[in-house]
This record gives sequence, C-alpha cells and structure tokens, in this order.
Amino acid sequence: MSDLDKAIETLRNCRPIPEAQVREICHKARELLIEDGNVVTVSAPVTICGDIHGQFHDLMELFRVGGQVPDTNYLFMGDFVDRGFYSLESFLLLLCLKVRYPDRMTLIRGNHESRQITTVYGFYDECLRKYGSANVWRYCCDIFDYLALGAIVLGASYTLPPPASPDIELEVRNANNSIMSNFQRHPNSINKIKEQDQSRQDEMMATNGAGEGSGSSPGKTGPPGSGASGYSSGSVGNPAGAVLCVHGGLSPLIDTVDKIRLLDRKQEVPHEGAMCDLLWSDPDEIDGWGLSPRGAGFLFGADIVKVFNHRNDLSLIARAHQLVMEGFKEMFDASIVTVWSAPNYCYRCGNVAAILELFEDNSGLGILSRSNGDANRSDGGPRGVLMENELAAPHLGPARRYRVFQAAPQDSRGMPAKKPVADYFL
Amino acid sequence: MTATSSSIPEFNEADEDNFISSGHGSNPSSLSSSAIPSPFALGDSPGGLGRGGHLNLNTSTYFPSSHNATTSTTFPISEADDDSSSASSMSSTGTIIPSPGRALFARPVLHSTGSSSGGTGSGGRSYEPIPWTTYFERELWLDTSPTTRHHAYLTSPVAGSGGPNSGSKGRPGPLFVTHHGAGSSGLSFAVVGAEIRRRISGAGILSLDARGHGGTTTTEEQDKTEPAIDLSLSTLAQDLFNVMIETKKVMSWAELPPIILVGHSLGGAVVTELAKTNLVGTSLLGYAVLDVVEGSAMDALQSMQTYLSTRPVGFASLKDGIEWHVRSRTLRNPVSARTSVPGLLVDANSTPASSSSSSEAQQDEQKGVAADGTKPKLGQDDGKKASRPWRWRTNLAATQPFWEDWFVGLSKKFLEAKGGKLLLLAGTDRLDTELTIGQMQGKYALQVFPEAGHFIHEDLPEKTATVLVDFYRRNDRSALVLPPKVSDLLAQGKRV
Repeated sequence: MSDLDKAIETLRNCRPIPEAQVREICHKARELLIEDGNVVTVSAPVTICGDIHGQFHDLMELFRVGGQVPDTNYLFMGDFVDRGFYSLESFLLLLCLKVRYPDRMTLIRGNHESRQITTVYGFYDECLRKYGSANVWRYCCDIFDYLALGAIVLGASYTLPPPASPDIELEVRNANNSIMSNFQRHPNSINKIKEQDQSRQDEMMATNGAGEGSGSSPGKTGPPGSGASGYSSGSVGNPAGAVLCVHGGLSPLIDTVDKIRLLDRKQEVPHEGAMCDLLWSDPDEIDGWGLSPRGAGFLFGADIVKVFNHRNDLSLIARAHQLVMEGFKEMFDASIVTVWSAPNYCYRCGNVAAILELFEDNSGLGILSRSNGDANRSDGGPRGVLMENELAAPHLGPARRYRVFQAAPQDSRGMPAKKPVADYFL
Repeated sequence: MTATSSSIPEFNEADEDNFISSGHGSNPSSLSSSAIPSPFALGDSPGGLGRGGHLNLNTSTYFPSSHNATTSTTFPISEADDDSSSASSMSSTGTIIPSPGRALFARPVLHSTGSSSGGTGSGGRSYEPIPWTTYFERELWLDTSPTTRHHAYLTSPVAGSGGPNSGSKGRPGPLFVTHHGAGSSGLSFAVVGAEIRRRISGAGILSLDARGHGGTTTTEEQDKTEPAIDLSLSTLAQDLFNVMIETKKVMSWAELPPIILVGHSLGGAVVTELAKTNLVGTSLLGYAVLDVVEGSAMDALQSMQTYLSTRPVGFASLKDGIEWHVRSRTLRNPVSARTSVPGLLVDANSTPASSSSSSEAQQDEQKGVAADGTKPKLGQDDGKKASRPWRWRTNLAATQPFWEDWFVGLSKKFLEAKGGKLLLLAGTDRLDTELTIGQMQGKYALQVFPEAGHFIHEDLPEKTATVLVDFYRRNDRSALVLPPKVSDLLAQGKRV
C-alpha cells in the first residue's frame, strides 16, 4: 500500500494526516492542477456535486450514495471547507483522491476556497486546532489558488441508461436508489432529438468522407466554449450540448467560456471582477443583471442564461453556491441548475442534499477526444444571431438523474465545544 | 444649541489613510460598477489588522486602466518570503494577498486610535472625556411627540459631494442614520461616523439618543407605573422615523437624503423594524445591523440580569467610568470610550431637572443590586451616591419587560424588509438557523470581525466605516449602472 493510499485510508476514517504528508500531497496536487486550464474538460459519465462545507460524514454518505472513487467519476463544484467541523479531512481526502485518480476526480474552486473567507468561517481555526500551527492552512490555501474556475462536461447523453425509458429527461432517486419521481421530455423536444440524431448521422457520414468541418453549415463544429456550432443543428461529438460547471454563476464581463480561459486564476479570489463573479453570482428571477445582496458578484436572470448557453453551445449550467432545501433546483426551463450537497447544512438547517449524474452518450457517435477542451478551437468569430423566439424554443438538455440524500448520523468526535453565548446583547 | 466641529479625532492614523474614497474614481465602465465593495474583505481579512494596520481594502478591478489611485492600497507584502505565484498575481491584478510569512494572525495591537490618542502606552493612558463637538456638527432637540423631546447629533450631508460616485452636482450625500443599543447613546456612533466622513466627505451622520437614553427626555417618566418608559420596538422604530422627519424640518431639507440605517444591538432590531414598515420609502437604500442575531440574542437574555448585576452601580467620575469600560474590555477602543461613555452616565448630585426622574428611578432599582450584595439601607446608598455620583443614565434592568419584544422575529424581518441588507458580527459568527439559510441563499451580506467586542463599531471604527461605506456605494442606486438587459438589446434589434 502506497503512502498515498494509506493517507486516503486515514482520511476516510476522518483522521488528519501528518503535516509533512499534507505538504507533500499539496505539492503533488499543485503539479497536477497547474497543468489544468481555467476551464477543465470532463467527459460524461460524471457525477456533479455542490457544496460540502467540511461535513465529512455527509461526504462519506455522498460517496455511499453516488459510488466510490474511482468507480464513479466525480466533479465537485467547490466550497469544500468552512462551517462544518471536518473541513480539513474533507478537503484533504478529495485532494488525495484527485492526486490518486486524476481522471476520476475534478475539483473546481468555490468562494470559500479563499484565505480571507476561511479565516472567518472555520477552516483556519480548524487547522490551527488540529495542528497547532497555520502551516497546513497555508498549504491548502496555496492549492486553492490553483483550482480550476470551471469545468465543461462533454458527451452527456440525452437519455438515461436502460431500463429507463428514452423519453425520461429527469429522474430523482433517494439514497436507497429508489426512484422518487421522474419527468418526461416535452414531446417537441423528443422530435427535435430525433431530427438531430438524423442530422448528426448525416453529418457523420459527410465528415467521414470529406474531413471535418467541410460539410456542416452554417454552424461550424468545435468544442463548446468556442461557440463554433449552431444551436439547432447540434454538432458531432456533442450529443446533448455541453454542461458548464461553475461554483457561483455568470459574470457580466464574461460572454463566452473562452473569456474564462483568459483569466489569471492563480491568485486569491478578488473582490470584484470576472473571477469573483464566477464564484459569487446567483441566478434570480429577474430581467438581466442585478445587484447581488451578498455584496459580491451579481444576480442574473433567465435571459442572461439562455443567451449565454446559446452563444456557447451549452445545454445546461450546473452550479452550487446556494442552499436549496430540496438539494437541487432547476431554473429557467432547466437551463441552469443549483446542486447542493451538504445535507442539514451547518448541522441544523434541515435540508436534504443532492448530486447530479450525467450519463455517457451511447449513441455510437462518440465524442471527440480533446485535451482540456481547447484543442481544435476555432477563432470564435461571429456566431449566429439569437432570435427572440429561440429563447422560448424547447430545451435540449442532457438526461439528468438526481440522487437525493440526508445527513449521516453525526459523530461528535472532534466537534468544538459549544460556542459560548454572548454575555451582553442588548 | 449648535456647535461646529473642530478637527476630527485627535488620533493619528495617517498611515491608514488610504481609503477607497480616493481611489474609487467613477469608473467609466458600466460593468465594474464602482459600487462594488469588498465582498468579504474585511471580515477577518488576514491583512485587515496586520502589522502595518493597513486596511486590506482592495478595490482593484479588471480594468486597471480605468482605475487611478486605487492601487495605492498599500499592504506590506514582502515578496521575498512570499510564494512567487501570489506575488505575480498581485502584480497582474492588484489583488492583495496576505503573505504567509507575515504575522497575519498576531493579536492586533490595541487600536492605533487608542494608544496614540492620549499619548502614551498602558501606563499613562488618558481617560479624559472627549466632547461630542469633536465629531458632530450640531446637536438637535426635537419634539417628536407632546411628551417626548429627542436629542440627536447631526453632521449634515453635503450636496454634490456624496463621494466619488455622485457625479451629478446637487445630489445630496448619503445620510447614515444610526440607532444605538440598549443602555448606550447616540455618541456610540461618534467615532465611526467621523470615519465614514473620512471616506465620503459629503456623508451625513444622524445619531439619536433613544427614549430613556442620553439626552432624550420623556415626561411619561414621571408616571411611576412600571414600565416607566414605552420602549417597545414599534415605538422606538416610530421614534427613529420621527427624528428623521423632524430633522428634515429643522434643517429645511426639501426631502430626505439617501438613507442608510445603521443599528447596533437593540438598534439593529429598531432599524430592521423601521425598514420593514417601509415608512422611509424610496429614500432608504439599505440597513445595516451590527452584532445582533435573534437566536443568540434570545439565548443571551437569560443571563442578562446576571451580567447587569456585575456592573458597577456608579462611578466617582466620568474618567472612572471610561476607565472601567476600557479595562473591562466592554469597549476596547479608548478613544471611542472617551467619547461615548459620557453619554451613558449622569451625575446624580447635579442632575438637571429634565432627566432627574429617570436616574432617580434607576437608582431605586440599582439599590437592589448593590455590589456588596447586602440590602442597602437608605443611608448607605446616600453615602454611595456621594462617593460615586456618576450613575447609569438608563436603568437597563428595568427594560427587561421589552427584551423579548425587541428580538422576536428579528431574523424574519431582516430577511423580508426591502433594501440592501448588511449584517456585521463580532467575534464568532452566531447566526441562527434562519439567517444561516438566508446567508447561504445569498439574501444579505455578512461580515464578521473576530477581533471586535460587542460594540463592534466602537472597537473597530475604521473597519466598520469601510464596510458601511462599501455597503452604501453598492446600494447607491444613482451610481449603479448594470449591464444592458438582453431583452432590451433584442428589442432594439441588436445582436446579442
């Protein structure tokens, strides 16, 4: 058993690992993460998770419900630390798994992966308590700066795996794997899928003969984020449109995924600007952009999401950042979903948690393998004009399975003493 | 009675004088909305109270070119002991990264405003009172009801200088209307008010004494039936509104300036109540609540009487009162203590007739909790009165009937009322469940100052002022320019 496997084993038992080993693992992780772009590419199937917030035992429950690494391919959308009592073990376990199984674990940055936030909301204090010094906190914070800002999931299927009916767009299961509910696709969408399948097959045949890109017009083919393919035509290797995963949401400064790739992410989360917005913004039932009551980031409405998705050939944005009592919440005709994975948040909010499973497209059309999502990139030239009626067009998102789970029984070990009551409060 | 402010505080903090007011130039780019503050910056920003004491206020944006002085924010980063990555990122975006090598978490030296003020270190610290005229332009006596005469301190907002964002001349600067906590007084906000004005020169501060506090008098007090004064939340909220309206009349303002309500403790409940009533209307930009949360306040109420019984009954002099507040760490900033404590105490031997009744009533009460624990005889008390004539202006113990009323439903109201919402907490975060959910749903801004005591705005006036000013700027509707809406663009036939 390697040292890394031993570390994973120790952490799985919710025990901290020695400081020297943390340092070593952070070093390895950094070498790994430094190679990633700001937006990493992940191939379906993948299980997308939201905030964890140091709730280690709930993270274990998540793995129980969603499958263990490396059997399941995971994408965590940030906020691993703070608030819960085991930020250290939770984050280090995820990081070790990332180092051990780099292709089966993707971690992107949340607004809590920040020096300033962690000093207020618990992670710093926890490191100090468990190690007697802030060294481990510093190692972790250095890693935070290298975490990607977003991820693009490619190759997600329109359909759930059999035996689910191909008409099912969304399925909700509980922690015991029983189906709680499911929803059929809008009939128009089904027809559209069939058309697309047909056109894709035609396209495949054309490209097989003539080389890629020669046959399809007006949309070019290319990876999502480069805006190279049209909305209605679909594109080879992009069966259900891509899914953008980001912790918070959109930024008025970012109109294409490529713009995210241009940011200098290796820094503390700034107080404003694009990088800040990506980690802080929230979708809201408003028109356009709005002021975020959080004091950072923006609110953005349905029109913003739909235009962004259209422009970037996305079928869905998955994000975390907001507590949803039901574990997940789809908004704006399922063009954006909030996934929240910390059940009974702060050990008292009474919410359930969820993870989102996207499946591999088995249509035989395959996906084009790309490194980091930016190979084969077009120059991002002018793209199709989005007409107003298209905003209301039936949505063609990937099939989604949500697994909803409750908080694990709490182990009180390691919990700090109850917070002292304020003595003066008038 | 009117007095004009002389120079603002004597404490010298020129080295911290790098505030956003200088660098927050109106940004041509609509997006970067100069109104954006630091989201979390000052919370417990590691750099916030680092060695140099420089505020870790970073307002850099993604438009370095459109920014002028902002980057002047000086933070003592030594690149030598820093990770190269963060050093480079600093140069690229101006983001401040605390360097690991620094003693970031060393206990902050007691506030710079403290030690430098009275001159010397611990030995020769001054506890001389500082007059309110140091901080406010004038005091007002406002007849808010036939039986109530409110006392308030005012520094008027100045039109056309509401900070760098108020491009148009003539727009009044913002008015920060503050409400102190129970047992405190309007002077509690004196120092932080001055700090706000250092950041927005045109900002006004209106700080009232609530009924039963400070210089405010009510004739109802003559009525000895308990409770002596109506301190119910709705009354206090109405009072606060009346004071604003009366001030507008007295000052001959055509309309209310843009208002930011700031309430500490009980005052936080009052401003939230007022915001919920919508009385202030569109003038209200937002409300800030300092260090009070329903859940933890309700928990703390049980021990309140015990706590109150440990307070001294009286003091030999104002100086003694100030010293007690500082030494007990009730107030951790001596300058603010020297300013605000005089508002808390009255001289029982020479009390003016107007407020004698109240302090009389309270002394009756205080007898019951005399420090020696014995039931004091009348003579003893007289003796005490002579030796320790400075008594609490407000008999806090007698306000107990109102305590629950103040805080019940606070979290719900805080989340529901219209306007920007800021919650500023001292010490650890003490959110109750409702506010925890609200916070994680992004319904309001939260800041935590771990190094502050309950009187967060007195302990850390600079940091509090910075947060409040950021809060104002962000909620300043006139300055806010959001990106165009997609539907508007489509309607104009533009490509999006």
